[in-house]
Amino acid sequence: MAIRETQRRHEALGLDEDDLLRMYRHMLLARRVDERMWILNRQGKAAFVISCQGQEAAQVGAAYNLRPGYDYVYPYYRDAGIVITLGMTARDQLLSLLARAEDPNSGGRQMPGHFSSRELNIVTASAPIGVQYPQAVGSAMAFKMRGEDGVVLACGGEASTSEGDWHEAMNFAGIHDLPVIFLIQNNVYAISVPENLQVAGRIVDRAAGYGFPGVEVDGNDVLAVYKVAKEAFERARRGEGPTLIEAKTYRMTAHSSDDDDRRYREREEVEEWRKKDPILRFKQYLHGAGVLDDAKEREIEEEIRAEVDEATEYAENAPYADPESAMRYVYAEEE
Amino acid sequence: MADEKQTEVSAAVDPERLVRLYREMVLVREFEEASQRSFRQGKIGGYLHVYTGQEAVAAGFLSQKKEEDKVITAYRDHAHALMLGADPKEAMAELFGKRTGMVKGKGGSMHLFDVDRGLMGGYGIVGGHVPLGVGIAYALRYRGSDGICQLYLGDGAVQTGAFHEAANLAGLWGRDGMCPVVFIVENNQYAMGTSVERSTANPDFAGKFEAYGIESEKVDGMSLEAVLEAGGRVFEEVRESGKAYAIEAITYRIAPHGAADFFEKYRTKEEVREWRQKDPIGLLEQRLLDLDAVDEEKLQEIKDEAKRTIEEAVRFADESEEPPPEELYTDVYAGEDEYLGKE
Repeated sequence: MAIRETQRRHEALGLDEDDLLRMYRHMLLARRVDERMWILNRQGKAAFVISCQGQEAAQVGAAYNLRPGYDYVYPYYRDAGIVITLGMTARDQLLSLLARAEDPNSGGRQMPGHFSSRELNIVTASAPIGVQYPQAVGSAMAFKMRGEDGVVLACGGEASTSEGDWHEAMNFAGIHDLPVIFLIQNNVYAISVPENLQVAGRIVDRAAGYGFPGVEVDGNDVLAVYKVAKEAFERARRGEGPTLIEAKTYRMTAHSSDDDDRRYREREEVEEWRKKDPILRFKQYLHGAGVLDDAKEREIEEEIRAEVDEATEYAENAPYADPESAMRYVYAEEE
Repeated sequence: MADEKQTEVSAAVDPERLVRLYREMVLVREFEEASQRSFRQGKIGGYLHVYTGQEAVAAGFLSQKKEEDKVITAYRDHAHALMLGADPKEAMAELFGKRTGMVKGKGGSMHLFDVDRGLMGGYGIVGGHVPLGVGIAYALRYRGSDGICQLYLGDGAVQTGAFHEAANLAGLWGRDGMCPVVFIVENNQYAMGTSVERSTANPDFAGKFEAYGIESEKVDGMSLEAVLEAGGRVFEEVRESGKAYAIEAITYRIAPHGAADFFEKYRTKEEVREWRQKDPIGLLEQRLLDLDAVDEEKLQEIKDEAKRTIEEAVRFADESEEPPPEELYTDVYAGEDEYLGKE
């Protein structure tokens, strides 16, 4: 292999081989489910797809630090890698995509990508960009007021940092030293608007204005993201306040299944980034570290394919929500 | 050492100009004291925010406004209107909600507007006017004007989302020379009852602009000469470059936040007393005396004259009529007759 990462970086981070394989599986499952969703969309079975492709390392690297069901997560619509790391399944994803009654996010009501799980403390997303941040700092404030050591992970793309909500939330987090991590996945495009036309200055520098640290990281390197996120989680748990992480990555697909990105970016640019595919990179690392060989790689691929096939079949055959139930899930119901 | 610096700064300043601006600052102070009294007498409805303590900021910057420039500010706007040349009678009548007011008695204290003199308001929602100011700057360039926009905002407004969105756009458009706006952050230390230390984890307001790619500096907002110097230099740079710029004027609201802020439980009497030592009008008086530009008698004469002008303004406002009920729906929209289906 041309590029071999011979250092066993994971050991310094306290990760063993099982951890690495779990992370790899999470990334790969997120990718394969995503690919399947596009196919179902092209077959006319799914109305809309919004992808995580290219951002799996940023997502899994950060989410691997979460304590599921204890810490809180405010994902954004691309965060399949995060919810899968927390324990959501291929079935969950496809049931949501096809708007079936069993969809754990919303019983088939929300658009795809609006993740939600009470058990996993994944807070339901709203469609407007950036509204998760003020909610996230509110949850962080609650942890602080209760004297608990929970951490809130709030995610978004670089475009969301141009929203007023982000600013107000960042300021609030800074004033009150809240246990919250802002994970900005800078995938270069706000739909069609490139970063340089959308952000004046650098996102990571903005943290200083709110009085807490900002860290930039190679978002396509899962171990690098894991490392900076680990430090941020530890800081938050020690009561030292928020951290902004800007994970530099790239959106490998069009914005959504309703977008044609050939109108605003060159194919060469996309091809360049494909070479930096985070899954490819991690795979190379795992081979170099002796954690993965060709046989094991194939085995994992096959397991995941079977999982995605099973999930697709299950979701396609699952019933839609009963029309009688249309008015439910708008307000909290008595338990 | 402070003296040395001041002498240096003032080399370029002409004492007559300082006296002229002193006159304006005293007039504003008188206006604010009279409006505070009138509010407590129940003659002014709605709300009232006075500028007492911050006069050097508006005086120094607004006196350098050119014909083609625009000015926009928040609700602490009386000084801006008066210093741009509004008639104190019309300004006071506006506070009284009278028909003879600057905006026909429909805006009140927080919404003074004077398009002919470039004052684009007067806004009541904290931070809400910031995107408008940035848009005005863009429009000036877009239409080929050399004008700039002086955009005044308080330290509290900087924490609002509207500020953030506008500053980001100002940074972006400024790169192309399309946003000649000067953000003038009047840091008066308090967002109502919240001190700057409690409203942001980083109270370096000038420094915050770095995040938007906007250059900035701080100026002593209690020193008229320092404000004049900064304004003279920055406005011309921005006029030339079309790039947004920010000035944090460090000042202090000697008066309470607003007319209903009686107890000021959020700050100590000692603190207010300390800042009173830096009262921009007091400092300027001393400076003018040192420069032999005036004597005590002249200062008294200026104050008496301001008092008379304001007494007359209050009388005028008091005696004016209220807007008639038939005008309730006029002056709401431009071309309003079309909206209302009238001929």
